[in-house]
Amino acid sequence: MRSPAKNKLKNKRGNILTENIIFIILNLVFLSILIVFLVSRMGAAAVLEEMHAKQIALMISAAEPGMTIHLDMEKAINIAKKEGINLDDVVTRKDNLITVKLREKGGYSYSFFNDVDISIYPDTTHPEDVTDYVIKINNYKNE
Amino acid sequence: MNKKGDKLISVYWFAILFIVAAGIVYMVSAFYGKPYDIREAEADILTTKIAGCISEAGYLKEGVLTENFRENFAEICTINFQVEDAYGWRDRGQYYVEVEFLDFGTGQQVFEASEGNSGLKPDCELEGKTLPVCIERSFYSIDENGNQYQVNILSIVRKTEKNVQ
Repeated sequence: MRSPAKNKLKNKRGNILTENIIFIILNLVFLSILIVFLVSRMGAAAVLEEMHAKQIALMISAAEPGMTIHLDMEKAINIAKKEGINLDDVVTRKDNLITVKLREKGGYSYSFFNDVDISIYPDTTHPEDVTDYVIKINNYKNE
Repeated sequence: MNKKGDKLISVYWFAILFIVAAGIVYMVSAFYGKPYDIREAEADILTTKIAGCISEAGYLKEGVLTENFRENFAEICTINFQVEDAYGWRDRGQYYVEVEFLDFGTGQQVFEASEGNSGLKPDCELEGKTLPVCIERSFYSIDENGNQYQVNILSIVRKTEKNVQ
């Protein structure tokens, strides 16, 4: 039969181990929530919409007829697919306004000043793995 | 006694963790909450485009110093300052570009042309991040008769609401 002193020591050890495990788990949970928050902010649809709309507007403003630009938009395309947005509607152009839309209730527009006629479409060279958009500068509008 | 001390340390540990996390969350929100300010890049591109429109390889292009160029500046240089219908931008132009030709010898203005909202120009004298971005560049050029010019280009982009917070 075990002595009461030995039993007490064993209980104490058990308590210390449980407390430490709970402490470590809580720390890990806390840090995981923080990391999830950071990643979600960095790759947020709203941030990507703004970034790509401005990026495309700048590229078109600086481009000249005959140019073909391939823009890597893999992250944005993945978000759009998850949100059920048709890839043809992700990047659209109306007059000289570029709109990038990755969510049903979202979208960001930015204008460019180069008076050119352009075509924008997803690069479907590999239909199962679309990662790029093609921006084709056709010609100046007044030509 | 030791156990009490351990518990106290873990409370402080979580307090510190919470403060650090709050700091990170605040900084990340502040960074990603702010819009990307691309106005300087836009103004630079506009300046380059206008420079390419009036001069090539150091020589003024044909028909630049004419009334037709002044009247059809936007069309000739293929610029379109139409903007999105947001923040009342349609009523108040968001771009202005002005090109000025000075006689290289005397410094006298011989020709000028402009396009856009000239009301933005006085803001260039002021300082502040919610004001339009103004970029002024100069270069030297000669015409087919060998006359020398200093060409000054002033490009202004406003679009404050979408670029500054």
